[in-house]
Formats: sequence, C-alpha cells, structure tokens
Amino acid sequence: MSSQIVIDPITRIEGHSKITIHLDDAGEVVDAQFHVTQFRGFERIVQGRPIHEMPSIMARICGICPVSHLIASSKACDAILAVEPPPTGADLRRVMNLAQIVQSNALSFFHLSSPDLLFGFDADPAKRNILGVAQANPQLARDGVGVRRFGQQIIEWLGGKRIHPAWVVPGGVDAPLSAETRDRILSTIPEAMAAIERALAWYKSSLLRWEDEAASFGDFRSAFMGLVDEAGNVDYYDGRLRVMDADGNLLADRTDPRDYQEYLGEAVEPWSYLKSTYWKMLGYPDGVYRVGPLARVIVAAQMGTPRADLELDEFRRRLGRVPASSFHYHYARLIDTLHAAERIDELLRGPDILSPRVRSFADVNANEGIGVSEAPRGTLIHHYRVDDDGIVEWANLVIATGHNNLAMNRSVRQVAKRYVKSAQLSEPMLNRVEAVIRCYDPCLSCSTHALGEMALHLQLIGPDGAVLDEIRR
Amino acid sequence: MTPGALVIGYGNVLRSDDGVGWHIAERLDNDPRFDDVTVLQRHQLTPELSLDVSRADLVVLVDASQGHPAGTFTIERVSAVEHSTTTWTHRMEPATLVGLAQELYGHSPEVHLVSVGVASLDVGDRLSPALEAAVPRVVDAMAELLAARIGQHLVADGSRA
Repeated sequence: MSSQIVIDPITRIEGHSKITIHLDDAGEVVDAQFHVTQFRGFERIVQGRPIHEMPSIMARICGICPVSHLIASSKACDAILAVEPPPTGADLRRVMNLAQIVQSNALSFFHLSSPDLLFGFDADPAKRNILGVAQANPQLARDGVGVRRFGQQIIEWLGGKRIHPAWVVPGGVDAPLSAETRDRILSTIPEAMAAIERALAWYKSSLLRWEDEAASFGDFRSAFMGLVDEAGNVDYYDGRLRVMDADGNLLADRTDPRDYQEYLGEAVEPWSYLKSTYWKMLGYPDGVYRVGPLARVIVAAQMGTPRADLELDEFRRRLGRVPASSFHYHYARLIDTLHAAERIDELLRGPDILSPRVRSFADVNANEGIGVSEAPRGTLIHHYRVDDDGIVEWANLVIATGHNNLAMNRSVRQVAKRYVKSAQLSEPMLNRVEAVIRCYDPCLSCSTHALGEMALHLQLIGPDGAVLDEIRR
Repeated sequence: MTPGALVIGYGNVLRSDDGVGWHIAERLDNDPRFDDVTVLQRHQLTPELSLDVSRADLVVLVDASQGHPAGTFTIERVSAVEHSTTTWTHRMEPATLVGLAQELYGHSPEVHLVSVGVASLDVGDRLSPALEAAVPRVVDAMAELLAARIGQHLVADGSRA
C-alpha cells in the first residue's frame, strides 16, 4: 500500500514550506519533495515602477537579507544608468553586504541550527531551542547574540536602521561614512571575531558527534558555484563566476555572471513556487549545483584574509578539497562569517573610506541591467529591462535558494531514505528531515508577517485518504 | 524618568494596526514624559534584544493583539519562562525573551506587555481610526506605569535615591 508523509510547515527556516515523503507498498521511501508554499510575485509587482524605486522595493522581499537584495538591485540599476559607483561608494556597499552576511549567518548557525548541533537530533524537542541552548551552553548562546548584533549594528549605523535601510542607492550609497561611525564599528570587531572563533573551536571539537548525519545529509556529488575575485579568492560584491565539479575540475571560471542565461536554466515544477535552477550543460534535473557558504569555500582558492585562510586550510585538511555533504554548510558558514568580519576591518581601514565621493549620478542610459552579488545563502542575480523613461517592463530574480532547490530536494530524499520508516513516525526522524533543509538555510522570503506560531504537522496518509499516523508539535 | 527604563514597540508597519507598537514608540520621541527612556522599534522580538532587556531595570513591550476588542488594551506583567514551548523561527514570545535575558546575562528586569486590540491587519502603513484614537490613551497609561514603577525602583534601590 503506497502512502505519503507530509511535514507542514517546516520549522526553524526562513519562510513557509512543507515536505512530502512518498512511500511504496512496502513502506519504503521512494521519493521526497520540498515544497515552497508561499507565493510572492515580486517580478510582476515591480512592472510599471520607476527604476529608482527598485532597490527599496526589492529589499522588501525579505526581512532577514534585505541588504542582499539592495545590493544586487542597485547594481542592476547602476547598469541601467551606465554608471560605476565611486570606489568609496563601492567599498561602503561591500561593508554593508558583509555585515549582512555576518548577521544572517549568525541567525542560521546560532539560533536555528545550534539546538540540533548542541543537543543532538534525537534530543527532546522541548529543549531544542534557543532558551535550551542558553541553559546548556550560555557562552555559545551569548556569542550568537553578540555576533548577530554586531552585523545588525553595522547595518543600522550605516543605513539608519537594521532592516530595510535605504542607504544603498543606484550609483553608490546615499551618504559618506563619518570617522565616528568608522571607529565605532572598528571597536566592535575584536569581540565579534573572538566570538566567531569560539564557535568555530566548539564546532570542530564536536565534528565527530555528527558523523552519521554528515554521511547522509545531502552527501552526493554535485557542482558548486560562487563569485571569485581576480586572484580566485572569494568575492561577495563583485567578481566572476566559478563553477567546480565534485572532483575539483572547473566547469566554468572567470565567467561573466551577467551572461547567466547562457549557462543557467530555470525549471518550474507544479508542486512548488520555487524555481529550480540548473547548469544547462548537464541538463535538467542532472545539472544540480550548490551555492552559499559551502560552495564559496570550495570554489575559492583562498578566502583572502589571514584568520579565515587558516580555518579554510584546516577545513580542507579535515574534509578534503570538495566535501560532498551539505552538513558541512555549518562549518563553512562559520569560516564565511569570520572572513566577513576580517574584510569589514580591512575595508574600514582603507585610506579613502571617509571620502565624500560615494555616489555617481546619471539618468537612464540603457534598457537592461543585471546585478550580481553573493548573498548569505549564495549567488543572487537581479535582471531588469526598462523603457526609455526607466519604467520597469520585465524583471527576473535568481535567488540563492533557487540555485539550491535541486540539491535540497535530493538531500531530503537521501535523509528520508536513511531515517524514515513508515511503521513508526518519530520526532527524531522528522527533525532530521527538517534539519537537512536547515543546512542550506533557505530563505523563503518571510520575516515580517503577522502570523501565529509555526507548528509542525505531519500526517501519514494511506491511499484511501485515511490518516495512518500523525504527529503535531 | 530615570535611566534604566526601556520601551520596545514592535510589529509590522506595513500591515496597518499590526504596527501599533512601532507607531506608539515613534510618538514617545516627542513626549517629555519619556525623555530618559530608551525606545526601540522592531519588527519582532529577537534573541538579540535579550542584552538590551538585561541592561534595563524596567521594560515595557508594546504589541498588537487580535485577542482584544479594537482600540482596547491591557498591561500585563511578564515573567521569565524556564523552558520555551515555541518552535522559534526568528521571533520569540515576551516570556522567552525575559528568560533568555536571565539565562545569558543573569538579570531579568520587571517587564510589562502592553497589548493593543487591532481593527485591521490589511496591507497599509497607517493605523485604523479606532487605533489612532486609542494611541494617546495607551501612551498616557504607559507614562503612568513608568512613573509609578520607576518610583518603586528608586525606593527599593537606595543608591539611586
């Protein structure tokens, strides 16, 4: 008798989604799907809007990573205005983008995933939350609060508010940096770096505990994609695309990301609002690749900052050059965060960082623009077409979670086959199915809804529609 | 007023009355009764606020409520919880925030939650007429609360008298 299991909604992720697990007559898992059940429609909403409104509108896509959309959108607008931001303007955008990386990564690692990592995936769900972490390992919880505040405060000090700042604009940024704000940010960096390094030390000391999960949480061969600079090191703001296969061979290198339509396909499945992006050369659905922190540390030659490079060397000694398991997103995310803090420090110590020349002004000079940057979860692409008056006629967004959609579905299938047994549904089993999704930290565009509690509801339904088993939390 | 008082108004300002906490916090800026009060506006309560809460002597949280008639409000004392019952995504309940302040920083101050009944949660950046009319009453009640409770704290804490 075939049947299916539905986990709806998935908890401790950004947004609303569910997982369906299909069982065969013998009760074995034959398939699993990750459904994104919310529809936003921003690509249609912006049609008819003037180009100068785009960054602010696009930032509203998300309350967790609005800066990422501000950056990519502003870069697309730069192309339409045919301007280059002054170097200081570009550097200040970089600082804010890095602060966004820090605060979002901190949310993912410390607040969403650390309960599983600290207590284990079989632990009582009543303590698998941030308060439980605070009681069991207060230093880890304090570091989480501290690192996220560090990133949020930089965004607020630069942009005037923590969420949806309007400081990044087409042509650069809206106002120069004051010496007072620079010094204020610099004074907070040592403490943030110490907290990140404590978390790294704790994580590495615990790696052996998760060997079983690491072997089944999205442990498969795929390509990885990210932006790199001219030296081949990680680049969050600019750079060229590098794509590496599971054996470390380069499928693409120094590729202009603005040509994304030549090598990235976008597929739509009827069971999800989230597009599945794939590497065209390998076809659909075989062209699976991953983006985000794990991909960044894999494709880059080095991180490009001293302390993060030491950590990257150790990461590669422990796990190899191209670790296949998505479980290692957690480890990579901490290295990513450490590097971001180091880069903020470097940028703020630049000789021209206080220059008043931070914005270029122009009118519409092109009918099409593409902006690409690295968001916390991976490569983000904004692509707009406008009329001669700068009114948006068409927009396409390729977000990091879309790049990872095929990989997330494959990961859910792998975990379900490893842990789900139809006869007995259990909390640890379900938690692992959810936890593999959390590795990717998918951002389903959320955050500022007025909603009730997100409960977990899983049903095992037989072919006749009868509920065979059910779990709520 | 005296240092040590913190007001956090939170909600979604793009969903009409859901943003009433935010709107109230904004109006405190020009009210001399709140001159020495730290006022924060947030979309929701998050763990990062535990540090701010732990540093305060008295905290007032202001949120929208679907459980009250539109324009009415209640003020309730919030106690720290030892165990969170929520499957937290990126917002938290007031009692969990207070518990987190206690666990992480060893101090959970006196916390009050002001819940204001909403009339509309539609898309929009303005309050409904019912809520507009209620806001001055809520602000007056908050000022009275702060004056009374801070007085108590001054009596209890001789070093500040």
